[in-house]
Amino acid sequence: MAEMQGDLRLNSKTLAVEAPKARRRAARKPLLVVIQPYLYLLPAILAIGIWIYRPLLQTIELSFFEWNMLPTAPRTFVGLRNYAQLFSLPDMGRAFANTIVYMLGILPLSVLIPMIIAIVTNDIGRRARTIYRAMIFLPMIIAPVVVAVVWRWIFHPTNGILNTMLELTNLIQNPLRFFSDANLAIWVIIFITGWKLIGFSTLIFSAALSNINRDYIEAAQIDGASRIQIIRFILVPLLSPTILFMIMLTLLFASQWTFAYINVLTQGGPLNATTNIYFLLWNYGFRTFSVGWSSAAATVFFIGFSVIALLFIKLSNRLAFYDN
Amino acid sequence: MTTISNAPVPASKSARRIPYVSHALLIFLSFLAVFPIYWMIITSLRPASEIYSPSPIPSEITLDHYIRAWTAIPLGRMMLNTVVTAMSQTFFQLLTSILAAYAFAAWSFRGRSVLYALLALTWLVPFQAIMIPNYILLTQMGWRDTLWGLIVPNIGSAFAILLLFQSFKSFPQDLMDAARIDGASNWGILWRVIFPNLRASVASLGVLLFISSWNDYFWPLLVTSRPENSTVQIGLQAFMSSDMNLWGPLMAAATIASLPVLLVYLLLQRQVIDSFVKSGLR
Repeated sequence: MAEMQGDLRLNSKTLAVEAPKARRRAARKPLLVVIQPYLYLLPAILAIGIWIYRPLLQTIELSFFEWNMLPTAPRTFVGLRNYAQLFSLPDMGRAFANTIVYMLGILPLSVLIPMIIAIVTNDIGRRARTIYRAMIFLPMIIAPVVVAVVWRWIFHPTNGILNTMLELTNLIQNPLRFFSDANLAIWVIIFITGWKLIGFSTLIFSAALSNINRDYIEAAQIDGASRIQIIRFILVPLLSPTILFMIMLTLLFASQWTFAYINVLTQGGPLNATTNIYFLLWNYGFRTFSVGWSSAAATVFFIGFSVIALLFIKLSNRLAFYDN
Repeated sequence: MTTISNAPVPASKSARRIPYVSHALLIFLSFLAVFPIYWMIITSLRPASEIYSPSPIPSEITLDHYIRAWTAIPLGRMMLNTVVTAMSQTFFQLLTSILAAYAFAAWSFRGRSVLYALLALTWLVPFQAIMIPNYILLTQMGWRDTLWGLIVPNIGSAFAILLLFQSFKSFPQDLMDAARIDGASNWGILWRVIFPNLRASVASLGVLLFISSWNDYFWPLLVTSRPENSTVQIGLQAFMSSDMNLWGPLMAAATIASLPVLLVYLLLQRQVIDSFVKSGLR
């Protein structure tokens, strides 16, 4: 368990570069010895260079062009025009607003509720804990497409078990059209995304909790602190690295997590109610073949998300209370 | 006394009350997590006549939906594609990551920290920011709708390198030095000294990579356009869109698509959970 939290912290600072071990030997080594590390690295570097960094640079390049992806069609250099138009592009305003809704909607399911559950249920016995762990983690290993298909069945307006149950218990008169009601659809996608994450996130918080030194809690109890005070003044501050880490993950990945459900379940509809920035990039790229738009938006969002990540890492290093 | 933490403090048994609130919360959460999966499996086993029944247990169990699903879409072919893809990706990702992590752990060399930072930063690059150039390259190579296209671009994993580097780094230097004095080459040290000792971490990373690769949706979506050339995830999506009301066969296909991962989870549930929690997110 201790190891778990250690790795988690390391993870929250993925950007920190490990200092090289100072093991420099005498100068003048044979060529093979000098290039040896690079030979070991070559396969991985090639794969990651060709399939991640090369396309990233090319996306930035393509963002200055107008092109429809046909190899025979001309690429027209348009300078910064794609960027200048960015927020007036079709559906961009809606996609951007929805993206914020997704982020804020998922946050309670990925951070607040899991943290509360982890704190409240921390008194559970070891054996029961193992069984609950195995069950609440299950959604995390199920493929997004399977998740989408199953929830589509459960949420089906006329035959789904949820509407059937709600009607049987007289909670509703008419079936809810979860995916075709423009007010409801985005919340259904948020719910499904949260369903997949909530157990995993709870386990992350419980791992972090079990790592907290019990002496603090006992000292506070001796001083007569109430349970609420212990949570407010001891547990939450000590959990702050994990809290920040989970908030960062949610903000950064909300759009990617929801993409699969949007693409399988709603295609961004009804009336663009569920589209988000990444779904829009996909549409620009592979539906309307507006490579320039897609690339310019991708570049801007990549930079934006990188800045958010950087801020969180800075904040985490400054604010975090480390239990030591 | 409140029992806030479950830390290994020898609390007297009599002082321990049963945490009803915790059990209630966790039972609710467990139900929420397990019910959809249960409902998928149980729908797939119901006779077609009771497919809309809200009863949690079917009157009889039948494999009809599986047979229909198997004949309606090239499920066997797609499963085979997925097995080959996921196994190959896992194998090559482990291989390239072991080599790279060893290079980072064993030597200090020019460009080391830059390369490490570049690996760590890939985490920030979303699929949607690189999909168009990758699609173009795939098309130029003639790899669209092929297993090559599914596998080759995914033989490297920055995430696996970083995770393995953490374990390699903590490997005792003395053992490596002793092997070197005995005349072992670097290659020999890696495979005869380090690897056998870290087999457990490599294996649990392998399980994690296999599950991610099996469940991957983005990459196959980009590479393949025909279900028979794709993985079972894309096939399942195509099946769902093609006929909305074949719920039994659809749930059967979804169950088949989840089966390998569910089996791995049943057998290695502790390791799977630990490696997911450790790795932050995948």
